[in-house]
Amino acid sequence: MKNIIQSKKIWPVLVLLLFAVSSCKKFLDVVPDNVPTIDNAFTSKNEAEKFLFTCYSYLPKNADVVGNPGFLAGDELWIPNSRRGTFDTQGGLMNWDIALGRQNSANPIAGVWTSRYQAIRQCNIFLENVKDEQKVFDLTPDLRARWLAEVTVLKAFYNYELLRMYGPIPIVDVNIDIDAPTSEMMVSRSPFDDCVNYTAGLIDKSLSGLPVVISDRANELGRLTQPIALAIKAKLLLLAASPLFNGNSDYARLTNKDGTPLVKTAFDQSKWNRAALAAKAAIDVAEQAGLKLYTAVPSTVLSPFTNQQMTLRGAVSERWNTERVWGLSNSYAGQIQRVAMGCLASSFTPNNSNAQLAAPMKIADLFYTKNGVPMNEDKTLNFTVKNELRTATRDERFAISEGYQTARVNFDREPRFYADLGFDGGTWYMIANNPGVGDEATFYMQAKYTQPGNSGAEGYYNETGYFIKKLVEANLTNSSTANTVKPYDWPEIRLADLYLMYAEAVNEANGPTDPEIFKYLDLIRTRAGLQGVRDSWNNYVENGAAKLGDKEYVRQLIRRERGIELAFEGSRFWDLRRWKTAATELNGPISGWTISQVSPAGYYQTRVIYNQTFIAPRDYLWPIQTGAFRVNTNLVQNPGW
Amino acid sequence: MISAHKRLLLCTVRISFFLFLLIITAQQGMAQNLVKVRGSVKDSVGGLPGVNITVVGTKIGTATDGDGNYKIDMPGSGTLLVSSTGFVTQKFDLKKFKPAANGTYTINVIMVADENSLTEVTVVGFGTQKKISMVSAVTTINPKALKGPTSNLTQMLAGRLAGVIGYQSGGEPGADNASFFVRGLGSFGAGKVDPLILIDGVESSQNDLARLQADDISSFSVLKDATAAAVYGARGANGVILVKTKEGEPGKTKFTFRTDHTVSGNTENLKYADNITYMTMANEAALTRNPLNPLPYSQTKIDRTASGTANPYLYPDNDWIKQVIKDYTYNQRFNMSVTGGADKANYYVAGTFNVDNGIYNVDKLNNFNSNVKLINYSIRSNVTLNLTKTTRADIRVYGQFDDYNGPLGSGKDVFQRAMFANPVNFPMRFPAEYAPKIKHVLFGNAVVQTVPGSIIGGNLYVNPYADLVRGYRQSNTSNLQPQIEVNQDLKGILSGLKARFMGYVQRTSAYSVSRGYNPFYYSANSIDGNDITLTEINNGGPQNVGIVGSDYLSYAEGAKDIKSVLYTEAAINYNQTFKKNTVSGMLVGILRNSLSGNAGSLQNSLPKRNVGVSGRLTYGYDDRYLTEFNFGYNGTERFDKKNRFGFFPSVGVGYVLTNEKFFKPLTNIVSLLKFRGSYGLNGNDQIGADEDRFFYLSNVNLNNGAGASFGEDPATAYGRNGITISRYANSAITWEESRQLNLGMDLSLFNAINFTIDAYKKRTSNILQVRSGIPSTMGLLASASANVGISESKGVDFQTDYSKSFKNGWIQVRGTFTYATNKIVKYDEPTYPANLANLYRVGHSSAEMMGYIAERLFTDDVEVANSPSQVALAGSTPVRGGDIKYRDVNRDGVINADDRVFMGLPNTPEITYGFGFSASYKTFDISAQMQGNARIAFFVNSGGFNTDDLSKSGIAPFLQIGGYQTGLLQSVADNHWSEDSRNSYAFFPRLSSTPTPNNYVNSSWWLRNGAFLRLQQVELGFTPKARFRQKLGLANLRIYASARNLFVMSKFKLWDPEVRGNGLDYPLQRVYNLGVNIGL
Repeated sequence: MKNIIQSKKIWPVLVLLLFAVSSCKKFLDVVPDNVPTIDNAFTSKNEAEKFLFTCYSYLPKNADVVGNPGFLAGDELWIPNSRRGTFDTQGGLMNWDIALGRQNSANPIAGVWTSRYQAIRQCNIFLENVKDEQKVFDLTPDLRARWLAEVTVLKAFYNYELLRMYGPIPIVDVNIDIDAPTSEMMVSRSPFDDCVNYTAGLIDKSLSGLPVVISDRANELGRLTQPIALAIKAKLLLLAASPLFNGNSDYARLTNKDGTPLVKTAFDQSKWNRAALAAKAAIDVAEQAGLKLYTAVPSTVLSPFTNQQMTLRGAVSERWNTERVWGLSNSYAGQIQRVAMGCLASSFTPNNSNAQLAAPMKIADLFYTKNGVPMNEDKTLNFTVKNELRTATRDERFAISEGYQTARVNFDREPRFYADLGFDGGTWYMIANNPGVGDEATFYMQAKYTQPGNSGAEGYYNETGYFIKKLVEANLTNSSTANTVKPYDWPEIRLADLYLMYAEAVNEANGPTDPEIFKYLDLIRTRAGLQGVRDSWNNYVENGAAKLGDKEYVRQLIRRERGIELAFEGSRFWDLRRWKTAATELNGPISGWTISQVSPAGYYQTRVIYNQTFIAPRDYLWPIQTGAFRVNTNLVQNPGW
Repeated sequence: MISAHKRLLLCTVRISFFLFLLIITAQQGMAQNLVKVRGSVKDSVGGLPGVNITVVGTKIGTATDGDGNYKIDMPGSGTLLVSSTGFVTQKFDLKKFKPAANGTYTINVIMVADENSLTEVTVVGFGTQKKISMVSAVTTINPKALKGPTSNLTQMLAGRLAGVIGYQSGGEPGADNASFFVRGLGSFGAGKVDPLILIDGVESSQNDLARLQADDISSFSVLKDATAAAVYGARGANGVILVKTKEGEPGKTKFTFRTDHTVSGNTENLKYADNITYMTMANEAALTRNPLNPLPYSQTKIDRTASGTANPYLYPDNDWIKQVIKDYTYNQRFNMSVTGGADKANYYVAGTFNVDNGIYNVDKLNNFNSNVKLINYSIRSNVTLNLTKTTRADIRVYGQFDDYNGPLGSGKDVFQRAMFANPVNFPMRFPAEYAPKIKHVLFGNAVVQTVPGSIIGGNLYVNPYADLVRGYRQSNTSNLQPQIEVNQDLKGILSGLKARFMGYVQRTSAYSVSRGYNPFYYSANSIDGNDITLTEINNGGPQNVGIVGSDYLSYAEGAKDIKSVLYTEAAINYNQTFKKNTVSGMLVGILRNSLSGNAGSLQNSLPKRNVGVSGRLTYGYDDRYLTEFNFGYNGTERFDKKNRFGFFPSVGVGYVLTNEKFFKPLTNIVSLLKFRGSYGLNGNDQIGADEDRFFYLSNVNLNNGAGASFGEDPATAYGRNGITISRYANSAITWEESRQLNLGMDLSLFNAINFTIDAYKKRTSNILQVRSGIPSTMGLLASASANVGISESKGVDFQTDYSKSFKNGWIQVRGTFTYATNKIVKYDEPTYPANLANLYRVGHSSAEMMGYIAERLFTDDVEVANSPSQVALAGSTPVRGGDIKYRDVNRDGVINADDRVFMGLPNTPEITYGFGFSASYKTFDISAQMQGNARIAFFVNSGGFNTDDLSKSGIAPFLQIGGYQTGLLQSVADNHWSEDSRNSYAFFPRLSSTPTPNNYVNSSWWLRNGAFLRLQQVELGFTPKARFRQKLGLANLRIYASARNLFVMSKFKLWDPEVRGNGLDYPLQRVYNLGVNIGL
């Protein structure tokens, strides 16, 4: 061995070899400088704007019939089981399964827990970086303030969505570092009132940064404004004041592991006052921004009756109309028009006009009579035998095709009934390919089995016989290959909603004598072609005037008005929960006409399609996925799950 | 045109082959003066090349050729000395032999392995070692044992190599590589778990190994333990396969030629029910879930189809498998090599040409053929240049090319389309006379009907015949690999010192093109139920359904894949013996750079690099006491600077009892007894998914689609892309490490029976895992990973062989047994409550599967209502009587994912074994090999439809997705729950025409034992007597017939158990082969 080391001749070889290897440490530095990292997102306004838009990208796609639980998870709309697959993008359970009683905690359907916390993390990253004036060097102070305000309000909205769905939630105001100890990541839920105050605070502090109106309509419409922010706050405080979270003893035992109660069980009247103020503030700023209830420019080729319908249809489906408080520019309603559209003639193909969205009978019954009062309270009209057959007269031809035989219940209804719903014999004015002149001899629905509206072809059909005309924009063109639609920005919040919120809150806060209630309800009723509440009730309801002095009666009246005005816009699903009435409303049959029948006598028989069950208090709140508790042991589950 | 081109190529090859024979035949026939001695030298497996044949006391000498044949001319009174490394030297006195009539002597020699040999060497990492001095666990195999009637070498490993677990899961040409793992699965990480493969020092893929010709291999070793693999440091943790190809043999030019012609067919075809049963059961499936469902098939249709006299175009009765799959196909392989050389240079040049055909029954409708034809040709040129007395250079050039022609999509798609096509709704095509004016083929089809009497969303059925013939895909891959190696003997500096430099470049490329037309489909109409008229389905008119047909081909290019590798290594070796002390040392430095031309992302496009220094020190005393120290010091580009280098040391000791003086008297009985032990550390840098290579960097996409847009008009709205994060930076991520203890023993008895047994225990730690403990309230967009997991594996590798020669022949019996099991010791998983302990992975094998415990089938709906709710599994189809009833393991009243338990055996075999024999008698030889796997289980995939990979679809019948519809297996038809026969233990649950997810989840209902034992190979050879060969002028001639996968024994009967759950895939092939081996 010795002579190896002593031999001097070996050293050059060894040195050469070691040199070759040691010079190689740099060989492993393969990553060049300027590989994109998150810092690159905040170098310039141009890059940071993308992050701003990223924060916006988590807003719900509420025009999506599959994504918005407000459509299919409750009792307002029903779809045929045969074409379930067309709604089932997840290949498993979908929103409709909530309506069918299949919600579960292992893999909650339609939960937003993960996605909204992701949204909040993105917002926090944006806020941290944009607050730092050293970053995004080319951002003007005004713009910086506006961006910060927008993202703060977005963050508030994402929190609101979580609160609405899960009740009390963990507040993540500042991002927790990914390398933080696990104990720090194990956040626990905050009491509901704290969550509400925190979220409202986010809006309050950002208000001044937001514009009242969007001036650059071509490029910015859909961005957050003061009316939007205040409307979100109004919705938040209305939620907080509502029976589900205000004095609900069901949540007495919903506490954190350390015993902190998460929902106060004592009723607090002042929450309604706060809600009323917030709604009024939103209305004031909205009106200051020039918003008003939509009315269509009357068409000379249409009868007044149809012009009235066009006003009501346009309130939702007219793009960026005057009563849009918040239109979702990233969720245009296109596909849903095809899903709602019925086959008005044999030239309409069911795979383009799917006709699948159907209103259950109870929703159709919600609409008033032509006198603006509930069917069962109208002393001048008799609706006791709802399916009694009656033939439409010439005078009624703009509502029901002349000479067509249909059920009693489809006659003598308020304009919103005809504007929102298509039904067997009901006229359905569409601008394109109109077979008549204006609304004379125009399209009407023929929905009995084997008729064009109910061929059963391709498995597309309407389960109840009530089609959702409201969601279809009047310019839809049907052809054999594809429907052309003019998509409209989804009306996430419209002015009528604020009026109804305000009326509801004022009745709760000040009682039925407050004139503000009927002032705002009547604005909506007048637009709907109805008399004011007092006039209608005085004229058509026994003891009408007296009934309007009862707070509970007026509460039901406001709720009904809300149900009618906001029908099929995804509001009822959340309202029933907020009012804590879902246990009654969602525990009953879904029914419709007997659509498999050919003859009027057979068709106009009420048929129970499904018996819904709603387990209270469990189903009022979403389950948090079971897996979350195994990861975060500080988290507690909602009652019943 | 295309097929003509292929035919031309094939012809060229055949003609060259005959020319080649002519040329070499012409060279024969020169007379010699001395006595001619001819013969062959064999060992227990076959002819031995390179055996030294000398004449005692003279300078006359030669060596056997590639097939073990020799010719020598020598004085009639001499003694022949036959010697070869690793074998006992034998002497033959010519006087004891009688010449043949023409004066030629024939001396055939059978060599006996000398396990005690002091000179036999084994190829180890970066060098060779004398076998006797080895302390590590290395399996070597005679390359001849890897010859078989297959063009895929990976199929020859399982059961033949102790320490290798292997199985094959598909038989499609070009996609039929067997999976193999050295000592099973060590890690459960997402990264590399299969062994490092080095062919002549070139890091190679499994495909490269698959295409290697056994004829070209000179040695094949598997390095199993830490000591053997330590010098590969970062890459050796999962074992190393070392292959060396042949070098040139000095002397006269020798030619060998081998050709094989095989007929291959499916080992087992799935048995489908006949179409009458199909329709009847489809009706049952529809009604049994809802009596109001419309019937898919009318009784008239069923009756008319059954009558056999109805118009077959109106009442089609297809057997798609028969219609698109042939019973067998024909493959050819040609292999030739030339070797020779003189003082200054030797060469070994080999060429291979293989044609593997698919098994599709392609009608000659067009001049292109869409049957799979995989032509594989390669050329290998190994040239050794003796530049100076001490300098030797090896130039190796290897080129490997695949030309593939096959159907559109992947080859196995055809198979699966046949299984997932409706058999009764349309014929494969109509005769041309039904539409005389139309030139194109009248393919049959129908519009998918969910609601009878109406059409649905434009879906056509899949017509497997049309899809097979409508076009073809061609792909070409090439692999070019020039390599240079320079060896410098430095004995001028120090005796025993050598230096070596090796470098290679590897360029691989692949591309594909598809050409096809869209078939015109027709359906048959009839008024009288017999005469038909055709309706065009997809002519582009207003009633068009599906893609509009076209008469002409369209064209699509596939992905182009180009990769390039540059590698260099420099080493110094020292070997010296001082009296009884044997010392060796080795130090090697390596650099590797690998690039991909289509990496897909910025981070992936960055070069992959490895750099390292490794070394070995061995010391042996008197070949009795042995010690060894190895290390690898390796760097990788994947980790943060502070973790980039890893140090992987190992030590080994050995003791050869039989070399002790006191043992000498016993060596006639126990010729070798050696004990070995080693312990060391190996690393693995190839952890995680490939796209997550740079764990220490975040991966941000600053232009992701998830943005937003604003403005009055959606058509002109102002939109910006969003920003997404797909990986969070983590600088702590580092090597996966494995520590392995190996204890081994080598035993030889009577110089005839050899045993080698190794037992090992391996602990793999730092296994990269996704951290499950991060709450979703963190809002992370991507999961975070950490080196968390620990796995422990242990096992035994055993091999034995027995050889015996006798007067007219010899026999050898051999067997291997590999047992490898593992257990997860640490796993990143949540803390489960006490009643959910069944969910913990720790303590289970990483290949063990989870499933529900199936109790039986529900007897009726009442039982369903009174049992724990299975709603969570049911999806949209309510659970009914006849569906599978599961056990409520956690007793919470509902069946959901929490009720799953680990069940059964692992999904990869824990035991691979093989045994066989070879024997020779006079001119005949025979061999047989059995191979088996055991301790393996799999789930029969019972349902679900996977349109991305049809082979992952299940056996549930009648499910319609798009144009696909699952078929009815005979076993389902024969034995399922029905309302008439409420058998709670029927093979298949209640039928359904819609998916019933409740029945498809993995459960004990579908768990099957995958153990099998198969007759993997038999071979019968005939080597004509020397006289006869001489008449033909051939040095060697062997004709052989062989067969593969003749039968399999297993409890599982539905399909070949070796493919496990992949029953609906291209089946394994049964092969019959006829071959000729010629040497000149």
